Amino acid sequence: MDFSLYDFDPAIYDEMFVAEGEPREHCRAVVEALRKLPDDDLNTIQDRVTRSFSQEGITFTVYGDEEAEERIIPIDCVPRLLALAEWRELEAGLVQRIRTLNLFLADVYGDCRIVKDGAIPADVILGCPQYRLAMRGVSVPNDVWVTICGTDIVRTHEGFLVLEDNLRVPSGVSYMIANRKAVKAGLRLLYRRSRVQDVEQYGSLLRQTLCELSPGGRPDPCLALLTPGTYNSAFYEHMFLAHEIGAELVEGQDLLVNDGFVYMRTTSGLRRVDVIYRRVDDDFLDPLVFREDSLLGVPGLMNAFKRGNVALANAPGTGVADDKSVYAYVPDMVRYYLGEEPLLQNVETRLCRRPEDLEYTLDNLERLVVKRVGESGGYGMLVGPHSTPEERDEYAKTLRADPADFISQPTLALSRSPCLVDGHAEPRHVDLRPFVLTGNETRIVPGAFCRVALRRGSLVVNSSQGGGGKDLWVVDL
Amino acid sequence: MLSRSAQGVYWMARYLARAGYLSRLLELQVQFLVDRSVEEIHFGWKRIYQCMRRFPPPGEQFLPEADEFALADAFTLADDLTFERSNPDSVWSAIASGRENARQMRHCISGEMWTCLNAAWLRIRDLEAVDIWRTPEVFYARTRSEIHNFVGVADATMYRGAAWRFMRLGRAIERAQLAVSLLLAQIELSRQTERRTLGWASMLRTHHALEAYGRVHGIEMKPDRVLDLLVADPSLPGSVLATVQAAAAELEGLGGGPGVDADAAARRLAGRAEALILYDWPEASEPEELLERVSQSARDLHEAVLGAFVDYAIEDSPLR
Repeated sequence: MDFSLYDFDPAIYDEMFVAEGEPREHCRAVVEALRKLPDDDLNTIQDRVTRSFSQEGITFTVYGDEEAEERIIPIDCVPRLLALAEWRELEAGLVQRIRTLNLFLADVYGDCRIVKDGAIPADVILGCPQYRLAMRGVSVPNDVWVTICGTDIVRTHEGFLVLEDNLRVPSGVSYMIANRKAVKAGLRLLYRRSRVQDVEQYGSLLRQTLCELSPGGRPDPCLALLTPGTYNSAFYEHMFLAHEIGAELVEGQDLLVNDGFVYMRTTSGLRRVDVIYRRVDDDFLDPLVFREDSLLGVPGLMNAFKRGNVALANAPGTGVADDKSVYAYVPDMVRYYLGEEPLLQNVETRLCRRPEDLEYTLDNLERLVVKRVGESGGYGMLVGPHSTPEERDEYAKTLRADPADFISQPTLALSRSPCLVDGHAEPRHVDLRPFVLTGNETRIVPGAFCRVALRRGSLVVNSSQGGGGKDLWVVDL
Repeated sequence: MLSRSAQGVYWMARYLARAGYLSRLLELQVQFLVDRSVEEIHFGWKRIYQCMRRFPPPGEQFLPEADEFALADAFTLADDLTFERSNPDSVWSAIASGRENARQMRHCISGEMWTCLNAAWLRIRDLEAVDIWRTPEVFYARTRSEIHNFVGVADATMYRGAAWRFMRLGRAIERAQLAVSLLLAQIELSRQTERRTLGWASMLRTHHALEAYGRVHGIEMKPDRVLDLLVADPSLPGSVLATVQAAAAELEGLGGGPGVDADAAARRLAGRAEALILYDWPEASEPEELLERVSQSARDLHEAVLGAFVDYAIEDSPLR
């Protein structure tokens, strides 16, 4: 692989190089090995990796004007490397953060101490569309509200920063495993020599975690993964995970509630379901409680959940803790609930609901990234430096109309990692999404879905917006 | 097993069996185009369309009395049966539907089965008739072989649970229905022609039974013997009796459904179809009438299976 044209920029953190032509300590061996790999070999590996995704049908669905299309997430075969020590540091921060967020959720649906103590304004919580009144006073198994969390992490010269806590139905873990499988098969020797930490145990850890939520500790619980259906963009992942954890892949129509218990329709009768890993948004879970026009959910499910007869992972209402306004308060929450300093920092965030932040945002639109509080997936945002004056004027009007719906953040120089482009190495911006599992304890596999902005110069890593994937190797070198 | 998953696996198998059967019919039919008489070629097209219960694409409208099979050329007919997206039974549509069911039920089948089927799908997904028309028989043979391969991979890799049973049940019911339907078409069409033996040899070839026929009955082609072999020989895997017995065996293996009566009714239907062939067929004076009864039993069996295991009334179902 040719690194001679690699465009190293000291202003941007590079995951593989510490200076022009000088690999980081833990990347040295891999860079040397990659340098020795003939271009043809690497191109062949890249082709094989891409083809394996297509042949195995590892796809996500994109909806166009007329019909849905199955697409593969493009994957770059050059791994991103993280030293084990760095990973440990990140892991500790993630554990601290998820402990905090679970305490926060128990609090905001319980006594609301944090509001009474003035650590967070009541309207930030009550005004959040993801705050579920139906969950007030509800207790959840083991006090675990967030069983599965996919935290978006970026890195700059300042270190790791949390971009977003995805606490509702985070996706991407199947690509972490699929990327690993494909890249490992392509770079066999290099993988072996690099002492890469395994991620394939994710399925069994997830199963163990979900079993720990079994109502009343029922042994050998019946698990089901509730999917919105085959047209959902993440359907591949739902199917993959159901297979990995030995759960039935169910749709709302397969479930019914009888006398406060949830059953699924099987070929030998109705079978009680103990734990539901739901990949359906709160709004659609139960038409008797949330959106009454929902066809995806199960009437009476919330009743069974509140009576403790079925566990839902994640619990309904967790979205209040990953709301973009609430996000700004997470470091304060860590101090409030744990009495500790946060190990992972947030990206500096301004809440446009505050007049001074709104004014700052409007004055600096060309330098900021502005996001809608309720949107995700890279939709509804303005990337200031990449916008035209007309786009900014238009956006400013929307912003002024409903400031509380927006936050702004500085445009970060996300770290970059080498990708194979036209046979040689070029840097591309990356982030990573590790998956945090919480049952009786918190478990994290040493890996992540690493997203990469494949277009030169682009900062948008979302797969729906032209992003791709990379394998993340946590190496013990 | 989740009822909807059972249904998905069942339909996957039915669609793939349909695609495989139709590919075989077309493989032989396009071979006929090379060296057979016009009469024989027309006979073949008519039989396929009658078997699939479909009308051919319209011929030229200003010749209403003309034979539409003579007007529509072989390319158009083959395209209609192979790649026509609006024809739910075309090879393309059947593989698309089988693959879609497999995609939704990937957790119920082995990874090897999925990869095998997906590869077949990716090969034909963007094809058009014009792409295969230089050597159409190669395309049909390959498609049929890919479906055989899928069945073999399933045999080697799939867990012998309920999903396996439902898959085999779907395949057996589909093959029984198609075989009876083709036999009925053959009997009816051969009555309309003066050549008594027309089409019977290709019936044997369709069911991979030419060698077996030679072994059992010698080289003389007698329609009643062909019919006997294809209907009632339990040793021929594609015979009606063998497919009905396969369906009965899978139902037996599935055991009880949620309600005692429903799955027993399905088993009775399979048993009745089997008994018709075993005991009534040897003395049947009207083979068509008996095959119609078998065909009806196979259709009822489909309904009974779905009623017993999928669409059952939950009020009667035991809670587990």
